[in-house]
Amino acid sequence: MSHLPEKNSWQICQHCGKHVHDLQWAPYFRCPFCQNLQRLSNEQRLKVTVDADSWHEIRLNAQTTNFLDFPNYSAKLHEAQNKTHHGEAIQIGTAKINTFPVALGIMDSHFMMGTLNTTVGTAIRQIMQIAKTQKLPLILFIASGGARMQEGIFSLLQMNTILNQWTEFENDRQLVINVLTDPTMGGVSASFGFKSDYVLAEDHAQIGFAGKRVIEQTTHEELPDKFQTAEDLLTHGLIDEVVKREQMRTKLTTLLRLHSGG
Amino acid sequence: MAKTLEEKIKLIRSPKRLTTQQVISQLVTNFFEVHGDRQLGDDPAVSAGIGLFHARPVTVLGINRGTNIQQRREVNGGAVRVTGYRKALRVVEAAEKFNRPVISLLNMPGADASVFSEEHGQSEAIADLILKMGQLTVPNVALFLGEGHSGGALAFSNVNQILMLENALFSVASPEAVQAILKNRNQTQDASEFMPMTAQQLEKIGLVDNIILETPANNLIERIDVALSKALDQLRDLDAAQLKKQRLTKFEKLIEFNKNEQ
Repeated sequence: MSHLPEKNSWQICQHCGKHVHDLQWAPYFRCPFCQNLQRLSNEQRLKVTVDADSWHEIRLNAQTTNFLDFPNYSAKLHEAQNKTHHGEAIQIGTAKINTFPVALGIMDSHFMMGTLNTTVGTAIRQIMQIAKTQKLPLILFIASGGARMQEGIFSLLQMNTILNQWTEFENDRQLVINVLTDPTMGGVSASFGFKSDYVLAEDHAQIGFAGKRVIEQTTHEELPDKFQTAEDLLTHGLIDEVVKREQMRTKLTTLLRLHSGG
Repeated sequence: MAKTLEEKIKLIRSPKRLTTQQVISQLVTNFFEVHGDRQLGDDPAVSAGIGLFHARPVTVLGINRGTNIQQRREVNGGAVRVTGYRKALRVVEAAEKFNRPVISLLNMPGADASVFSEEHGQSEAIADLILKMGQLTVPNVALFLGEGHSGGALAFSNVNQILMLENALFSVASPEAVQAILKNRNQTQDASEFMPMTAQQLEKIGLVDNIILETPANNLIERIDVALSKALDQLRDLDAAQLKKQRLTKFEKLIEFNKNEQ
């Protein structure tokens, strides 16, 4: 075997532009030079979060179709499905975190920026239902650019259809933890994003309602340093804690233990 | 005569468009406006208050867009700030306590995009209002006088019945934003061709319950009066549980139906 690295084993850090080797990335995908994080695929997320072999994926009740015949949507969907090997921007299932059983929803920013459409919305309601009937704590790893334009008003209406079921779900005294990862924006942030018992955010994640560019263009204000970062939201009292990716599993375990009755 | 999307946009953004203030002053007597969210300030974009509609007390949430430059600047063009959502929340909670219906009157671009709103939790403020509107134990009705887009407008329209003036629009994002996506794809078509957003399209998909014709203009306010009374009368006999259930199923059913129709 050649001593030269194989193809693709070096990647450029999106933040500082330095070349980082696979071995330096893994498993948390933090740049050793600038300390910024790379966005994780769902497989990578599971690997650093749940106990080995404990993940049981649950099939989604819904499938995505281009029912509005929106130009290019079908092609984009195919592209995203090929890239991620998943049917949609969310996977749901059950798993164990340090032996604590949980229901999980994991959104994938690599699938059309994790946008909320009718299927993703249905999946969220599905995992809420599963958590409720199986009496499992629910953990949602959120990554989303907002509502998916290609399904128009139907994407928008996911926001209220999810929230319309939320209260009933909460009345069941089920533990819900949201982990906001990069990015958590728009219709997702303004619906179920902050409505959990605990809102944790991964360090450096971008979190907000309106995009930075939109704010700049509409207000002509200069945006403050660290605007819409997890750290900034913590300072403004909007989230419970910023958790480093390396610490996420431990912190989740603590919360699960504190709510498991001993 | 059917108007193109462009014509509709021009009409609803015109300073001559029927305003929330005109509707309130002509249909609601003894209007008592309340101010402030008790936390950060008062958003003049939302006129919130109590008044008599056909001798019955109602709570009104009116979004003002302003008719001249000075007003538009003052009310932020109808883009509701975090303080506006929190004021609205406070007012609908009181409506519940005193058992009076809630009427939202909308002509707004969407939620405010600014550093101020972001830093004070715009996302959660919107989510809280969507959540509360869905759980209200009193009837709520939304009337779109002009346009309303994104989660910012949805917060006022997670209601039992949605009424729209003939040329009103309701969409996941402003027609300009949708057009921008289409333009990137070298599409020159009208954005509404791919996305239901006009009153007529939204009635067809089952989102809008009643469209109010805009001509002849001289008795438009009477037709609004009749439509609002009718909507409230239809909801009058429903109890708290039925009202919640009606909202839950209204939105879920129409999404399911339209998705499967193709």
